[in-house]
Amino acid sequence: MALNELNFKYKVENPQSIAKEYSHLGVVGSGDLEVLMEKKDFGGGAEVKVVTPVTGFDKVWEMVVTKFVKGNNLGDLLIEINDNNATPVVVSMRLRQALAEANKIEKGGE
Amino acid sequence: MDYEQGMIGRGRDALEMIFDADSIKENLIDDIQIEAEIGPGAVVGTGLLDGEKATFIANDAQAINPRFNVVYFGVIGMEEAYKMALAVYSTIEADKDKPLEQKRPLVLIVDTPGNGPGKTEEIFGMNKATGSYQLALAEARKLGHPIIAMVIGRAISGAFLCHGLQADQILALDKTFGTMIHVMPLTSISRITKIDIERLEELSKDNPVFAAGVDFFHRLGGVEEIVKKVEDMKATIKKHIAEVREAKKAGQQEKLGPWGRGALGDERGGRVARKKVMEKMTEEYNAVADKYLNA
Amino acid sequence: MLSWDELQKAKFTEANARERAFGLVDKGTFTEFVSPRDRMPSPHLPVLGEAIGYDDGVVTGIGLIGKRPVFVVSQEGRFIGGAVGEVHGAKMVQAIKLALKAYEDVKVKYPDSYEERLPAVVISFETGGVRLHESNAGLLAHAEVMDQFQDARGKIPIIAVIGSKIGCFGGMGFVGAATDVIIMSEQGRLGLTGPEVIEQEMGKDEFDASNKALVFRTTGGKHKYIMQDANFLVEDSVAGFYQQLQEVMKLPFAEIEKFRRIGSKKLVEEQLELVKLAVGLGAKDSMDVWKYYGNEDPAKLVDMGPDEFLKVAKRRERKLG
Repeated sequence: MALNELNFKYKVENPQSIAKEYSHLGVVGSGDLEVLMEKKDFGGGAEVKVVTPVTGFDKVWEMVVTKFVKGNNLGDLLIEINDNNATPVVVSMRLRQALAEANKIEKGGE
Repeated sequence: MDYEQGMIGRGRDALEMIFDADSIKENLIDDIQIEAEIGPGAVVGTGLLDGEKATFIANDAQAINPRFNVVYFGVIGMEEAYKMALAVYSTIEADKDKPLEQKRPLVLIVDTPGNGPGKTEEIFGMNKATGSYQLALAEARKLGHPIIAMVIGRAISGAFLCHGLQADQILALDKTFGTMIHVMPLTSISRITKIDIERLEELSKDNPVFAAGVDFFHRLGGVEEIVKKVEDMKATIKKHIAEVREAKKAGQQEKLGPWGRGALGDERGGRVARKKVMEKMTEEYNAVADKYLNA
Repeated sequence: MLSWDELQKAKFTEANARERAFGLVDKGTFTEFVSPRDRMPSPHLPVLGEAIGYDDGVVTGIGLIGKRPVFVVSQEGRFIGGAVGEVHGAKMVQAIKLALKAYEDVKVKYPDSYEERLPAVVISFETGGVRLHESNAGLLAHAEVMDQFQDARGKIPIIAVIGSKIGCFGGMGFVGAATDVIIMSEQGRLGLTGPEVIEQEMGKDEFDASNKALVFRTTGGKHKYIMQDANFLVEDSVAGFYQQLQEVMKLPFAEIEKFRRIGSKKLVEEQLELVKLAVGLGAKDSMDVWKYYGNEDPAKLVDMGPDEFLKVAKRRERKLG
């Protein structure tokens, strides 16, 4: 019954990391998730770790995550997701928001 | 005595067993009178432990509060909780000029299934009543009064928080007496968390963190000692009063009460994340403290 | 995340715990302790197959209001109802403990002017109390919070902010009551037993938990304000709470302590008068009590906007404070 942990590794051409050292977004509410992105020296690679109570949808997770990492040419980046039964649509949306947040240039004094 | 029945519902009997014969004075802390008419579900007053004066605060599960229909069977209602708080404040008052080592002990006899759960209770603020009693106990404890809780029956959730968990040390009769310490029975946990009862039952065999029972609380550091026989209650309570008094004299308050039980939980392996989290927070605070303290 | 300025305009009920924590202190001053990056989730949830969160449902940290260091605890209701487990509880306890440490340090460093730098603790409650998945550890943590509250008495103010959808119930209901100051919005609720449990105990005729108006009149901000259980009633925005906190921080500590409801023999005696009123009045509804305190047409207060409500509502008079 324990939680399901999925790990994925990627290596894309001309990888891009994020602007901030790290970034966090979201709340692990029912049907939702949190995303933690952290700059890491992975020699250009990207790693994704998903922790979810859901089993039997590993392929779907892989598809959603792969599309996100490859579509955005991400590298030298660790992405961690703590999920609580979010749908693939919500997962993709949160990942996009998290990336935007991670690349946001900070305005002074905030 | 018929131990088969256990001690549930026998708060008054427990007082007789623990305190010297004919020494119990209800609603009286020295010359301070506590209103006798209120809170029949709580029995408070003074008794002697081999000649030494102590304040007792017990549940009377046989009493029914005629004014609040949710208060019976040991439930702590608004009147009961304030009465208990008054007993504590009166004890503080009675000993206010005494040095730390002479502050009289408080003995809590615990057998309660819950706090008053009614509409009137919510309108007038039941949360204040139980909160009040807890603050009073914490104050007395920090002033030097040794506080020992003796769980003889039910110590359930919020009622145990109120009546027990602010003590310096907590003792409990062995589970063979039907002693119960928990937040909720597994069936209710199952309903609310939507986790199968079978799974919960299996896990609860060795998981002290949510399983019901005295032994698990012991492993978490929530109970200092399990008392095997009712005849041993008095001597064990006295032993712990002496221990607590020594610790207070030595300035070791941090070994007692809720904070001390935190350390004990770590020692016994039942709550080990607590300490790590606290240390991490301290480290992160120290890194920025100057900026905030000298703003 | 929204910027601090945007957050001020946001509804408090809709902001998440982290946004509230950022918005309750001066612009740009919040530093989080044990943030998600520290990855300290509950060790007890995975075995039950329950989703984990890296902050365990509570945001803790420090910010400033003026010169005063403010230790913030902000609970997240969307994560297991904001319920308190081992890690969540330890974060709450340590926030208060650190505030007390800061108090000692400030006193040493600024012996003549420490009052203007007096630390404070602000707790935004959004919780039903003990987390059942780790109930025993949660229970013990509650007791530790109360213990720290008593340590803080007469030293630093502890201020409750209650404006979330879930409110402040269960064991945290008496933790909330034990603070120095309580600031609520109309949407905030404070109590011990949640509506569903009352219905279960007393029957639907006595208390219908699906009747939202009844639920809010019984434990909501307006009722608690009339009863003097909430000291201040503010609008449902982050700015509403932040500005009220600024006002409270301007008061000398001796004044702040007068807001207390419980915590001394005198206060217990005052509360017992209220219990006697409960018996004497035989109130079937909170509106009976509102009327007793001089609100001739209590039903009118229910739908009144906050500004008008604050102008016309009559409150219980306190002998103390």
